[in-house]
Amino acid sequence: MTALFHAFVSAALAGLLNLDAVQAFQFLLSRPAFVGPVLGLLNGCPAEGAKIGVLLELLYIDFIPVGGVVPPNGTAAAAAGVLAHSAGGLPPSLAFFLGLAAGVVYSPVEYRLRAARSPWNVLVEAQVAAGDFNLRRWLASAMLTETLVMTLYVLAWAVAAAALRLLPGLTWLYPGTDFAYSLIPWLGLSGLYFRFRTQIYKKG
Amino acid sequence: MLFSMFLRSFFLQAGWNYERFQNLGFAFSLEPALRRIYPDGEKFKAALLRHLAIFNTQPYMASFVLGNIARIEEKAAGSASPEAELKYMPGVKQALASSFASIGDRIFWGRLKPMTVQLCLLVWAAGGFYGWLFTGVDAPVSAGLLLAGPLAGIFVYSAFSVYWRWKGLRAGYTCGGSAACALDSCDWPRQIKLLSTAGFAMSLAIVLLSFGLLAAANRGHVTWHGAALRLALPVMVLLVHRASRAYGRSVFFAAGVILAVSVLFFSLLGLEPFNLYL
Repeated sequence: MTALFHAFVSAALAGLLNLDAVQAFQFLLSRPAFVGPVLGLLNGCPAEGAKIGVLLELLYIDFIPVGGVVPPNGTAAAAAGVLAHSAGGLPPSLAFFLGLAAGVVYSPVEYRLRAARSPWNVLVEAQVAAGDFNLRRWLASAMLTETLVMTLYVLAWAVAAAALRLLPGLTWLYPGTDFAYSLIPWLGLSGLYFRFRTQIYKKG
Repeated sequence: MLFSMFLRSFFLQAGWNYERFQNLGFAFSLEPALRRIYPDGEKFKAALLRHLAIFNTQPYMASFVLGNIARIEEKAAGSASPEAELKYMPGVKQALASSFASIGDRIFWGRLKPMTVQLCLLVWAAGGFYGWLFTGVDAPVSAGLLLAGPLAGIFVYSAFSVYWRWKGLRAGYTCGGSAACALDSCDWPRQIKLLSTAGFAMSLAIVLLSFGLLAAANRGHVTWHGAALRLALPVMVLLVHRASRAYGRSVFFAAGVILAVSVLFFSLLGLEPFNLYL
């Protein structure tokens, strides 16, 4: 029951922190490097949360959100990864790869949320033309929807992870995922290296 | 008025949509200025509707445009022919949005953001936490240190972003009216170059530190060929990533290759797994 409560609180917190990614503040509180240890602390596995979070961060810095591009979502990845380990009971290695997938799969969800707001423009214009200048409620609705969707999404991944753990004979996969997980820091470091190397040695 | 706009600018992207991008947030952020400039309800309504048009830029740098547009609206309201004052406003808004988007994307997304991760790793290294590198090690670590890493990056990054949000608003409002307004408020190319150099130096330092830690972790425990294999594996990972980039694939492709090969060898074929460190 406590684990379920923690999972729900963690998912709700992920929903709130996700607002920082695009909609409010943008202080980087939504980044996996922060979400990972915070949710890890909340769920009794701070070190694993921090590892999962920063490794996801190292892979996710490869994506830049320019010009309306919807990159894979780091908050969803870190939250789903940490909960797959703490609430789902999966080893950190498998939880990490599930988190990676959760972040990628959230991208089309986010695209649809943004696209669903396009028809609002006509409605907002009509409202302003009618003399009602309250734009705040539109922005609040957008943020509330994003929070709810993220909360439910993270919970769904936690449930999926718990269900996955019940699969008979899943443990045969662990040696492979453990080894791959031990190589991920190096993949992340190479990403960090290439990100700045291309800037330094840019032609033209 | 400027402070109210500054606070509202933190919600610039709250209503982001594919039809007009940041228009809802822009109109919301500009509202305090428009209310002061146009006490008359009809004029205020017309101004608010004007700014529900398409708008998109880098969110931190949007304040340069906000300040500029507030000044243009102010001039127009006090002018004998407001139409003439407002005639070039959409063009100025668009030109500034594009220019500042290009600068902001390079500085914040392309450089400062990855540098926050570097700061996090360096703080953890200074505190003696290497769990992010040696994923199988469960050494005790304080919650304070775990949070100090990401918070160091967040603090530095946010200090920069908040500073530029406020400075941009003031600079835009001071010189408002021209399409080149405040673009010279900083030597941007020099800043971009400096950040690139600092980021690359930190990347190199972290990579070298990691290889040093790997060598130290294996020293005296494995044979020469065992040590060579353990040092060669990270290099191979780097090459896989390099190859995937050369073929236009993302880092996820490289991660997928690593996972698939590991599962093949250690799960399906049943090879004895080993650690990168002993």
